[in-house]
Amino acid sequence: MVIEIIVLEKIFWSGVAAVGFGILFNIPKRIILPVFFLGGLAGFLKFTALANDTGIVLSSLVAASAVGFGSIPFAHKKHTSPFLLSIPSIIPMIPGYFGYKMLLGIMQLAIYNNPETDITTLMSVIHNGLNMMFILLSLSIGVSLPWLIFREKGLRKIKLAGKDDLV
Amino acid sequence: MQYKENITDKKAEVLLKICSLLMTSGANTSRVLLLLERFSKLMNTDAQVFINHKAFIITLTDEKTQEKTTQLKRLPGHGINFSIMSALSRASMKAKNEAWSFNQIEDEVNRIADLKHYPRIIILLAVSLAGAGFCNLFGGNWLNMIITFFATMGGLFVRQELVKKSFNHYLCALVGAFIASSIAAVALFINANNEPQLAMATSVLFLIPGVPLINSFTDLVDGYIITGTVRFINGLIFVMAIALALFIVMYIFGIHSL
Repeated sequence: MVIEIIVLEKIFWSGVAAVGFGILFNIPKRIILPVFFLGGLAGFLKFTALANDTGIVLSSLVAASAVGFGSIPFAHKKHTSPFLLSIPSIIPMIPGYFGYKMLLGIMQLAIYNNPETDITTLMSVIHNGLNMMFILLSLSIGVSLPWLIFREKGLRKIKLAGKDDLV
Repeated sequence: MQYKENITDKKAEVLLKICSLLMTSGANTSRVLLLLERFSKLMNTDAQVFINHKAFIITLTDEKTQEKTTQLKRLPGHGINFSIMSALSRASMKAKNEAWSFNQIEDEVNRIADLKHYPRIIILLAVSLAGAGFCNLFGGNWLNMIITFFATMGGLFVRQELVKKSFNHYLCALVGAFIASSIAAVALFINANNEPQLAMATSVLFLIPGVPLINSFTDLVDGYIITGTVRFINGLIFVMAIALALFIVMYIFGIHSL
């Protein structure tokens, strides 16, 4: 029971983070609710995958591809492009934390000259930098997966709502 | 020599405006090209375009008269705006289905360029809530979340003010990160909480340039290596500014690890 509440809390706050960034990026009012759902879905999948020892890169890939496919029916319904729904939804998963951890490590290497800790700092720089690159790569691949697999023509063939305003 | 108004020139201007709106509001390169192709077909022209982060060159050929024109447009500063992207892709479909004339397209593009942002107070509240959400996702408790909420709000407010006075964008991010993380550090110092790092680490996440970073990798995967690299380095400099601000705050408050 406690675990369920924690999961719901994570889903809710993932959705809130997605909508918050969506409003910073000035998304149209009519897609705020879909972005909330997709952000929650992404958070749910990511934390479920992380809890099962999947590793952060693969978890991000799973969540981002789910968002990529999940954004298509919403986009049909709201007459917009799936990209406009999927990008704000995956913004909470951007590896900003790894990014500035890497640069903080580089600054520490440059400023403090301490032979004992230098190796650990260097390894953490490499670890954080590679994680950032691979998470970004998996996010962008996950979001564009429907295009990579089905191309434009095939995507229309799926026909979830019969509207072809997929740009 | 008498100046004759040239319709191909006007079409090129409108197409360049569409490109610049898309690029500055955060579209990836393949999307810019897709919409450009769609609009140029509607105008009965063939468009060849060179895409760059800061400027566009377009060569437009009229399909009937074979009249040619080449124009260059420098882009204004980038500011992400998904409403413009959404409205433009909607307009492209509408124009195709209802066979709009050139003047209709021009009017619609001018209307879209003036789309309003959300009110400032709503942006501040939404982003602060998002910051609190991040804090929760990183495992923070309610106290951490409240502190992150106010730290994010302060940082974003200062950054907006600086952007309004048109300072350098990286400097704005640096000062914003500095204010946000110092608010978090001060608040946690007073309260003597056991985890000052968490609120500090999450209060600066709103400054991370997510859209350029995602677009950079999308561009790289699509084969637009130069625009992808430019976007990535642009994003990396923002992250560097944030890291520098965090480093200074950590030094001042004597926090050793984040």
